[in-house]
Amino acid sequence: MAETLTSRPTIADADAHQASAHIDADTNTGISNTKLGMWLFLASECLLFGGLITTYLLYKHPLEGPTPHEIFDIPFTSTSSFVLLMSSLTMVLAVSAIERGEHQRMRVWIGATAVLGATFIAGQIYEFTVFVREGLGFTTSRFSSAFYTLTGFHGIHVTIGIIMLVSLVLLSLRGKIPEHRSETVEIVGLYWHFVDVVWVVIFAVVYLIPS
Amino acid sequence: MTVTSHDNVPTTVLDGAVKDYSRDKVYVLTAIFLGVVTLVEIATYAFPDFPVWADELVVPVLMILMAVKFFTIVYVFMHLKFDKPILTRIFYMGLVLAVVVYIAMLSTFRIWFHGQHG
Repeated sequence: MAETLTSRPTIADADAHQASAHIDADTNTGISNTKLGMWLFLASECLLFGGLITTYLLYKHPLEGPTPHEIFDIPFTSTSSFVLLMSSLTMVLAVSAIERGEHQRMRVWIGATAVLGATFIAGQIYEFTVFVREGLGFTTSRFSSAFYTLTGFHGIHVTIGIIMLVSLVLLSLRGKIPEHRSETVEIVGLYWHFVDVVWVVIFAVVYLIPS
Repeated sequence: MTVTSHDNVPTTVLDGAVKDYSRDKVYVLTAIFLGVVTLVEIATYAFPDFPVWADELVVPVLMILMAVKFFTIVYVFMHLKFDKPILTRIFYMGLVLAVVVYIAMLSTFRIWFHGQHG
């Protein structure tokens, strides 16, 4: 049985008439299973990163090797943090563009997000290289193991996000992300923003709080 | 013309409906706000003797700034503000569970007392 889209509210209608800006899905909750699944996944990721951050806090005082504040380059990491923060803006503008049916603009914003994410990863690789050159290997101290595990896991998440963004652009170029499937972009966006909020916590707890 | 949910929706159908749709401005303003908060965070490192965050105050100030950034991104960029309340509850379930479990763990290791953990 075909369901007509004309009977469904557009996002602009939702914005104009109620607080919820999202179109109801045909489920008991009114939320699509994919989106619900992504939020449940992100809730579980809080526990993963919470564990890694806690481990870092326990082990941040090294018994041997360089200490965190001898080795961190705060101006450099601040720039990387700013780059990742701005990638959240480009991502949300991409979601906004596809909701309006502007495919070309959506691809531009997603491309910009991927480039900003890649810049962040390049910065992290450079930072790790410098640290290793200065004598902070993965097994140098309990601090170094906790630090590389935490920031490395985050870097892997960003890399997976970049792969998803590039896949979105390729799918869009093939015409496989029409407006009524804009939620696909939104779900990738949720993951990307979560990666950003995790870095917000890491930047403050690991880099800025003095020992 | 009847458009089924399985068809591509022509952009022209949506154009009129989104004429006044300007949430993008909110997103840009939010990003500027987040940038400013980040600058304040960096200032705690660059100017450690500034009275607002001098000495022991720097940790609570950074925690507050971090929380402001965290919830701004979650509510505006991740659309929790605009979305169904059940999603907020699901996310908080994981977040609160993580915070409680790991505060308990850190307390077990006496991290709040200098020199007694590890």
